Amino acid sequence: MTLAVTAVALLIGAVLGAIVAAAKLSGNRVLSFLGSVYTTVFRGVPELLIIYLIYFGGSTAVTAIGQAMGYEGFLGLPSFAAGALAVGIISGSYQAEVFRGAYLAVAKGELEAASAIGMSRALRFRRIIMPQVLRYALPGVGNVWQLSLKDSALISVTGLAELMRTSQVAAGSTRQYFLFFIVGGALYLVLTSLSDQVFDRAERRANRSMPSAMGQV
Amino acid sequence: MDIAFLSSTMVTLLKALPVTLALFALSVTIGCVLALVIVWMRVGGNRYLAAFAKGYIFVFRGSPLLIQMFLVFYGLAQFDFIRNGPLWPLLREPFVCAVLSLALCTGGYSAEIFRGGIRSVPPREIEAARAIGMSGFLLVRRIIAPIALRYALPAYSTEVVLMMKSTSLASLVTVWEVTGVAQRLISHTYRTMEVFLCAAVIYLVLNFIVLQAMALLEHVLSRHLRAAPPAAKV
Amino acid sequence: MPEVPRLSVRDIRKSFGSHEVLRGISLEARDGDVISLLGASGSGKSTFLRCINLLEVADGGEVWVDGEQIRMVQKGGRNRPASQKQVDHIRAELGMVFQSFNLWSHMTILQNVVEGPVHVLKRPRAECVEEAHALLRKVGIGDKADAYPAHLSGGQQQRAAIARALAMKPKVMLFDEPTSALDPELVGEVLRVMRALAEEGTTMLVVTHEMGFARNVSNRVAFMREGLVDSMGPPQEMFGAGASPAFRQFIGHFQA
Ligand SMILES: Nc1ncnc2c1ncn2[C@@H]1O[C@H](COP(=O)(O)OP(=O)(O)OP(=O)(O)O)[C@@H](O)[C@H]1O
Ligand SMILES: [Mg+2]
Repeated sequence: MTLAVTAVALLIGAVLGAIVAAAKLSGNRVLSFLGSVYTTVFRGVPELLIIYLIYFGGSTAVTAIGQAMGYEGFLGLPSFAAGALAVGIISGSYQAEVFRGAYLAVAKGELEAASAIGMSRALRFRRIIMPQVLRYALPGVGNVWQLSLKDSALISVTGLAELMRTSQVAAGSTRQYFLFFIVGGALYLVLTSLSDQVFDRAERRANRSMPSAMGQV
Repeated sequence: MDIAFLSSTMVTLLKALPVTLALFALSVTIGCVLALVIVWMRVGGNRYLAAFAKGYIFVFRGSPLLIQMFLVFYGLAQFDFIRNGPLWPLLREPFVCAVLSLALCTGGYSAEIFRGGIRSVPPREIEAARAIGMSGFLLVRRIIAPIALRYALPAYSTEVVLMMKSTSLASLVTVWEVTGVAQRLISHTYRTMEVFLCAAVIYLVLNFIVLQAMALLEHVLSRHLRAAPPAAKV
Repeated sequence: MPEVPRLSVRDIRKSFGSHEVLRGISLEARDGDVISLLGASGSGKSTFLRCINLLEVADGGEVWVDGEQIRMVQKGGRNRPASQKQVDHIRAELGMVFQSFNLWSHMTILQNVVEGPVHVLKRPRAECVEEAHALLRKVGIGDKADAYPAHLSGGQQQRAAIARALAMKPKVMLFDEPTSALDPELVGEVLRVMRALAEEGTTMLVVTHEMGFARNVSNRVAFMREGLVDSMGPPQEMFGAGASPAFRQFIGHFQA
């Protein structure tokens, strides 16, 4: 469950991050200003507060829509959706910075080299920049994943029965808090160290496929 | 825009600001000292201390702060020797539990950041210090620490901002700081957006101040990297 | 009563893994001696200097500074200094100048120079600052006291590093190729400072590739080859007819 929330959140974050990074890099003043506002606000405000915003704000919106459609009473946003969306928005703000940094790292030398051999703009972007950006971004995305994994623990406050919540409920019912939180914490440790290894391996693979590029960094 | 509501919300939230600031200041200070101890264990050369430090860093960076906080808050109370121990009047306080878990957690993260700073100290400068007869604490105090601090500062200021945000978790163990009060306001008024805006502004301003302070410190510590002052140019 | 040598090194041996770099080197420097240490790259000159002030721990042999022996013990099958305190004290008596200067980048030149006297020797700061200014003037960078190392040329940095070592009032100065990292036009200014020190009677052990310095400034030249002192003697002898075939071949490379 934790993994599912985090994975969905990371996907949402990747899309948002790419859009925001593009906005910040667009050169258009208004767009890059909006992009900056996004990354500043969502990286600067406590995660918990953002989860409240999405959960309560989302529920209010859903209720309003429900009322417009003739449904009486309060409609809650599904916890899974609210949680994934909230963590996704947060991770999007971090991923935007990761992508932007990676793009800037690539853009300098590579661009000139690529246009020198006469590639079209679109081709250049698809063939040269994207793979490189992804390679540069990988360690950063790894960090964001770890961050989101731990943020997902916060979703418990909206009532989603994911890892955190499970250990809390179990702890509450048996009063064996210590044991259950320890188990919950240990599960997280397993998750984070496993994903650390996965990203390590992915990174090594990405770097192996482009051995010459490492020297230029 | 309901200016009256916004301003009354702001006033309510600002009343909780001292709690947030106290959580922040105490946990960052204690966490920093803790990090220094851990990083000393980690690089000090004693195999067992290093293994302990490694384990500490792994555990506190690898698990969510919320779990750590719940462990301290709900978990500790289960042990009779703690309930009967001399520290119980302290450990019973949610505020103390929150500070404790925040400090323990940032201790792990900061230790790793400081270690990165130490690793980037040029070995040659350390060697030059050894060659004039420095060793042990003197070497750390005069040469390694100042250089490492400079290198660690950017990452450390990020960590400090993260700590500012993390103080919000204290609301989940019943410490009424800004986010907790905001949550209560939201569930009373259902005006999520306005309350969120006010709270967000508070946190952004706090972060801004912290970052400015850090940037100032970095500026002071980077004198040797900037261009020579005009007077010294020949 | 025979004079105590400033520095006496006996039968120093050192291996890195299976690679035997020093195979028993002995050397003695009396007060005012200026010894040039020559040898091909990789012959172990730096390793030898580093063994003297224990930046590298030799596998065997003795080091005496001004009549005091550095005590060593066998621990876990390895040779180790017996007392860190003694090591610090001996190092304070040996001034080391590195090929790459190794000034502390976060301190001004003046701070670099007073650091040792104030914090290692625990002498009063005001006195040290005054001496430091005098030393900086002596090496020709009196106007750079408040600059940071990054703002100085290589030659100026190396002269600052020499001042930093001199500030400790060492019994012996050790130089490890002090001019090798410098642009050719900056070599002269550093060599001039070293020559002045030699003329004042400073005891110096200098690893160098500067044949002019070895020939004209030092009073003894030692040639290292394959981890041993191949030959040693006054420059007139070494650069004259009495040179060993290996040394003659070595200096042949420099004249070519
Ligand atoms: N820390 C070390 N570990 C392994 N081998 C080393 C180490 N330091 C030096 N060596 C080896 O010892 C040998 C002697 O090195 P050293 O630096 O003393 O030579 P050198 O005479 O100073 O040469 P150069 O003129 O290039 O400075 C070299 O073959 C080198 O590879
Ligand atoms: Mg050398």
